[in-house]
Amino acid sequence: MRYTAFTSYDIVLLAQGLGVSLALFLATTIIGLFIGSVWAVIRFYRVPVLTQLVTALAELLKNSPVLVQLFLVFFGLPAFAKFNVTPVEAAVITLSGNTAAFVFVIAVSAIESIGRDQIEAARVFGLSRWQILRRIIAPQAMAFAIGPLTGLLVNQLQVTSLISVIGVVDLTKMGNILNLRTLKPFIVWAIVGALYYVMAKLIAFAGAVLEKRLRAHTAWKGL
Amino acid sequence: MISARGVRKSFGAATVLDGIDLDVHGGEVVSILGSSGSGKSTLIRCMNGLEKLDGGRITIDDFDVSRQKELTEARKRSATVFQLFNLYPHMTAVQNVALAPVEVLKTPRKQAEAEARALLDSVGLSARADAFPSQLSGGQRQRVGICRALAMKPRYLLLDEITSALDPEMTADVLGILAKLAREGTTMVFVTHEIEFARTISSRIVFLDKGQLVVDLPTAEFFAADGGLAMPRIAQFLSKMRKD
Ligand SMILES: Nc1ncnc2c1ncn2[C@@H]1O[C@H](COP(=O)(O)OP(=O)(O)OP(=O)(O)O)[C@@H](O)[C@H]1O
Ligand SMILES: [Mg+2]
Repeated sequence: MRYTAFTSYDIVLLAQGLGVSLALFLATTIIGLFIGSVWAVIRFYRVPVLTQLVTALAELLKNSPVLVQLFLVFFGLPAFAKFNVTPVEAAVITLSGNTAAFVFVIAVSAIESIGRDQIEAARVFGLSRWQILRRIIAPQAMAFAIGPLTGLLVNQLQVTSLISVIGVVDLTKMGNILNLRTLKPFIVWAIVGALYYVMAKLIAFAGAVLEKRLRAHTAWKGL
Repeated sequence: MISARGVRKSFGAATVLDGIDLDVHGGEVVSILGSSGSGKSTLIRCMNGLEKLDGGRITIDDFDVSRQKELTEARKRSATVFQLFNLYPHMTAVQNVALAPVEVLKTPRKQAEAEARALLDSVGLSARADAFPSQLSGGQRQRVGICRALAMKPRYLLLDEITSALDPEMTADVLGILAKLAREGTTMVFVTHEIEFARTISSRIVFLDKGQLVVDLPTAEFFAADGGLAMPRIAQFLSKMRKD
């Protein structure tokens, strides 16, 4: 392979990689938030069997390496279930599941942090379990969870870089390609690292703004 | 009518309510006295369905609180004021008061909030209607708690030591509101350590001891030398309460 110096087109390549990483991050975050919240609601209602199932699944997902999960989905699923997955599909499935597991844990502890006495009051006044979840628990749990969730998402952004190993051309993979072509690892990886850093800071900033708004909205001093 | 028949409740091996029979008719104020741990709060929590009975039956206007379907109706007819207020911390006073009318009685929000403001006004809280619980004093919080109960237009008010977390001045405020409600004919089950106050507003006094209902007497008889006071257990309790 012939190696060459940087060209202005490399900026487009990096932007492409960045776009792929961001898209994957956003998609898996939305799916993960949704699934993790649904699991937490299942647990809140103590649905028999399902509760044990989602709790065990979350335990498995958060206590095994994401890379192993990724291999399991990408190589294992086709071999086991004759079910072919593209690298992007495997990445979406794995990262969504992983995010969901941690969202579940955060949501469960946020729900449990809400004082029992106000929930008893709501029950006595005849509110249904769903009304209590929606009107009493969710708004307070949200304010409680936003900090840990921001931390989680900053971390999940970094985790997306793992998908480069199964051939998804994300920011890390693009860095790899540029590195092999230019043989300037210090410059390439410094730029790639800086791009992740800026994205992480943006997520943290958005989280902080949201947290401030959630708490200011209630003028409520918290837990 | 609230009616309890042979109500039993245990926590593990400890029997906390041991065959309670009690009727509370419309318009009555029934005070429940008894020393700490005698089961007063547990009895209230059985009436509003927060505890499952281990035996016997409680009905509110003939709706059995032990049956899930009837409990909903029973809860619409009774409202509880809590010792530690149990307000929703993320909602303003008005929102606290209007929540159950909107969600349970399906009152339109505008109307529910207007009614909530009128109630808060009636207990001297019009200026604090948009404050959050954390911004209110204990006495103000309990007044919100009372409004929250009244907003459901309940036939029966269940009150469990609603002034015991308040200082004397705030206690006087809150008791003043209860006295007014009693004069207006509100039916109340009133657990309290405020003996003298109970004496002024109650139609009947009930005395619990170790989970048993020892006496159930009209107020005058309860405090008469040849009535309740003739019972050593009650005389001892009253003299101890008056010393504190
Ligand atoms: N959830 C519970 N689990 C175990 N024991 C309980 C529970 N709730 C109450 N008890 C016990 O039941 C007994 C009666 O409690 P209860 O709260 O009804 O008393 P009380 O008459 O309201 O007392 P106080 O005047 O101190 O409020 C006490 O011995 C208490 O320890
Ligand atoms: Mg008590």
